[in-house]
Amino acid sequence: MKIIMQAFVFAMGLMAFSLSQASIDIQTWQTSKGVKVLFVEAPQLPMVDVEVTFDAGSARDAKQPGLANLTSALLSAGTEQKNEQQISIGFNNLGAQFGGQASRDSASFSLRSLTRENLLTPALDLFAEVLTQPSFPSEIFARDQARLIQALKQREEQPNQVASLTFWQTLYSGHPYANPVEGNIESVQAIKPNDLKAFYQRYYVAKNAQVSIVGAIDRKQAEQIAERLTSSLKTGEPAPALPAPKPLQEAQSQVIDFSSVQTHYMLGQLGVERGHPDYYALFLGNHLLGGSGFGSLLVEEVREKRGLVYSVYSYFAPMRVAGPWVIGLSTQNSQASEADQVVKQTLKEFMADFSDEKLSDIKSNLIGGWPLRLDSNGKILGYISMIGFYDLPLDYLDAFPRHIERLTKQDVLDAWQRHIKTDNMLTLMVGQPE
Amino acid sequence: MKSKFMRLLNPIIGSLILLSSTSINAMAQTELFETTLENGLQVVVKQDTRAPIVVHQLWYKVGANYEPNGLTGVSHMLEHMMFKGTDSVEPGQFSKRVSQMGGRENAFTSANYTAYYQVVGKQHLEEVMTLESDRMANLSLTNKQFQPERNVVKQERLWSIEDKPTSKLFEQFKATAYLSSTERNPVIGWMKDIEYYQLQDLKNWYSQWYAPNNATLVVVGDVDPKKVVELAQKTYGVYPPQTINPPKPQFELEQQGQRRFELKDATPVPNIIMGYHVPSLVSASDPQEVYALAVLASVLDGDDSARLTQSLVRDQKIASSIGAFYRPTGRLGAQFLFSAQPQTEVKVEELEAAILAEIKRVKDEPIQKSELERILAQAEAQYVYQQDSIQSQASSIGSMVSVGLPADTMQNWVENLRSVTPDQIQAVAKKYLHTDNLTVGILRPSGETNRKPTPKPEFSGRMH
Repeated sequence: MKIIMQAFVFAMGLMAFSLSQASIDIQTWQTSKGVKVLFVEAPQLPMVDVEVTFDAGSARDAKQPGLANLTSALLSAGTEQKNEQQISIGFNNLGAQFGGQASRDSASFSLRSLTRENLLTPALDLFAEVLTQPSFPSEIFARDQARLIQALKQREEQPNQVASLTFWQTLYSGHPYANPVEGNIESVQAIKPNDLKAFYQRYYVAKNAQVSIVGAIDRKQAEQIAERLTSSLKTGEPAPALPAPKPLQEAQSQVIDFSSVQTHYMLGQLGVERGHPDYYALFLGNHLLGGSGFGSLLVEEVREKRGLVYSVYSYFAPMRVAGPWVIGLSTQNSQASEADQVVKQTLKEFMADFSDEKLSDIKSNLIGGWPLRLDSNGKILGYISMIGFYDLPLDYLDAFPRHIERLTKQDVLDAWQRHIKTDNMLTLMVGQPE
Repeated sequence: MKSKFMRLLNPIIGSLILLSSTSINAMAQTELFETTLENGLQVVVKQDTRAPIVVHQLWYKVGANYEPNGLTGVSHMLEHMMFKGTDSVEPGQFSKRVSQMGGRENAFTSANYTAYYQVVGKQHLEEVMTLESDRMANLSLTNKQFQPERNVVKQERLWSIEDKPTSKLFEQFKATAYLSSTERNPVIGWMKDIEYYQLQDLKNWYSQWYAPNNATLVVVGDVDPKKVVELAQKTYGVYPPQTINPPKPQFELEQQGQRRFELKDATPVPNIIMGYHVPSLVSASDPQEVYALAVLASVLDGDDSARLTQSLVRDQKIASSIGAFYRPTGRLGAQFLFSAQPQTEVKVEELEAAILAEIKRVKDEPIQKSELERILAQAEAQYVYQQDSIQSQASSIGSMVSVGLPADTMQNWVENLRSVTPDQIQAVAKKYLHTDNLTVGILRPSGETNRKPTPKPEFSGRMH
């Protein structure tokens, strides 16, 4: 690989768009239980993707870090009628793919199946059973708890993981986003199967759920699918609003002494929440600074000109409340100070000014690259799920490139100066930086 | 279902292609359009009109297993240099143009091939073909560009191998399992080799392998195949073929007894890799053996209800994670691999014994009809799912052609799996998965920790 881009966890939200002729027709309605549904018809391949999302991410862990993640991981460990092996064989015999994951904001579960009736119907039945009747068997809980603790021990020996963990903990100190999604050894050790059941009862409810569907089915079938998956959910209550995190009031720098050959470096602060009006300008600027791989200023300065790194990137991760803005890289220990200086100098110069040519290039990159962001059912599903979950306007995908097109250089610079306080940044190094 | 920390994938071994990924009867096939230009460039086009975009890939038949000792990683180093300009295109200009188009581009090197790709709006196809064909013939290799890029590759090696014990284990596993074959070479190269490349080495490697008659062009997307061939003729077609001396045959010695090695590193959890020499579609005298091995890999680890997970993770609780891997498309044969991590409190020797017991079970009892049916159902479905991505469709074609296999190998894959009988699976297990053909690598905790006592954060009011 020539370059590794920032993991695509954030890519979805980071991406922007254009060309109205490529517009995606999103249909939306509510199930009888009041669950929001978003649907895009994609008739070309005989397959369907369904995602059910709950506002049940690790931000809901309260005093039990790791609880949301374990709850989502154990959902398919057993139901009232079936054990773990029967569930996984059930999906696999049908050629269906079941998956699930927790993030800070949400827990989401996906099913991919062929549309053939004799495959799709039983796959949906099993999916519904897993979503609505999980039994959280204690024996499997104990096994997976032990596996997770082992992984958490390994995490402590991995410099990139330690960096990420420390970064969030420092930036969000005291906020629900501070803890890692997977929790930590002590907190995971203390979780009991009954905690999972209680968490499930509270958050896996209709008023806290959403369904997204993309595939070769019609509206009527989509309605039936959404109804089938959610009719047995308890009505419940939506999750409460999250508090706004507090920005850093002064610069902080932290070094964690670590026996690795490279120093893992993170620089950043709070960014914005999903739906913030400044996001377009921040996103466009970030795309130029470090969000677009080889066209970006950071890659040019830190990698191309000086050969200091293999990968350097920056991203905004807008979330339910202000997510982070981060610059990240790793470099051999002896080059860490130099990389730090080059990054900060590049940021400073970018925030002061950049050329009109760079602005028009980065705009044409974003606008011209629009169709690439919607070239598969999987990508479209990711977008509509995000649009629904964060209550973005239905024309978000079509409007984004129009917003980008309209932005002036001054708009970008103003937004960056409003949000990015270069005197109050967190600098974190894990390694033995020189 | 796996959370981020419960995934059963070792990132390095996980990058090998898991089999059972295609099928035939699931839906109407889109024809592959294949031709060869007069200068020897092979061209394969597949039409997919779902989005107004196109993926354009150029594959060279050169990779880490072509490299002589002392020059390991030179294919990968050259791949990096391919972005550093030509006689008519400034360094960085290639990427800049693709970026202006809104395209995505990258390149990758493996043991068997080196490939370059762009994904762009279909209206830009001709321009990326012009740019790509230009660097096939007119690369400008200078020391000024080479020295910083060498350091980039060093950083890449530090990042991807040196700080990752499981990556080191796999690298050393290959170097132990293969003694005489160049399949032992790490794709990124040994660090000392990277430090001692000369610019002339890169120039030699470029002129030795980069030519239209050693390359395959793959285009998938919203295109008319005839038009693509016209454009290929207009761009790539103008460069003459070069003399390509095929790599000398470098056979692996027949293994006559088990090999073992250990690696001690700062890790809290041990790991084990076990591998057997097996044929690939390229090296096999009987391809049916390959299909049988592929089905066997799926029986053991095709999904989360397969035998290894069911028996070792769920029932016996010996493994915390486990996988079996077989990539049947290597130019120089293949390894049938097992990679696992023991559960807390379980000795790695117990885990090894449990894996061997599962292998013995495959030899002793024919696999069940229900297992076969599940594997085929999944293979069929995955063939459809794979078509959701034009990138993976193109990559599947390019990787086959680059090792000398037919472009439609994967389209016929499920049909070939369907022909496998339980007897054939037992036969290949007995023939290949035996002690004298086994290499074992064990990663053991050194007892050290990377983490020093955490100092208090320093607060300062200024940037430095």
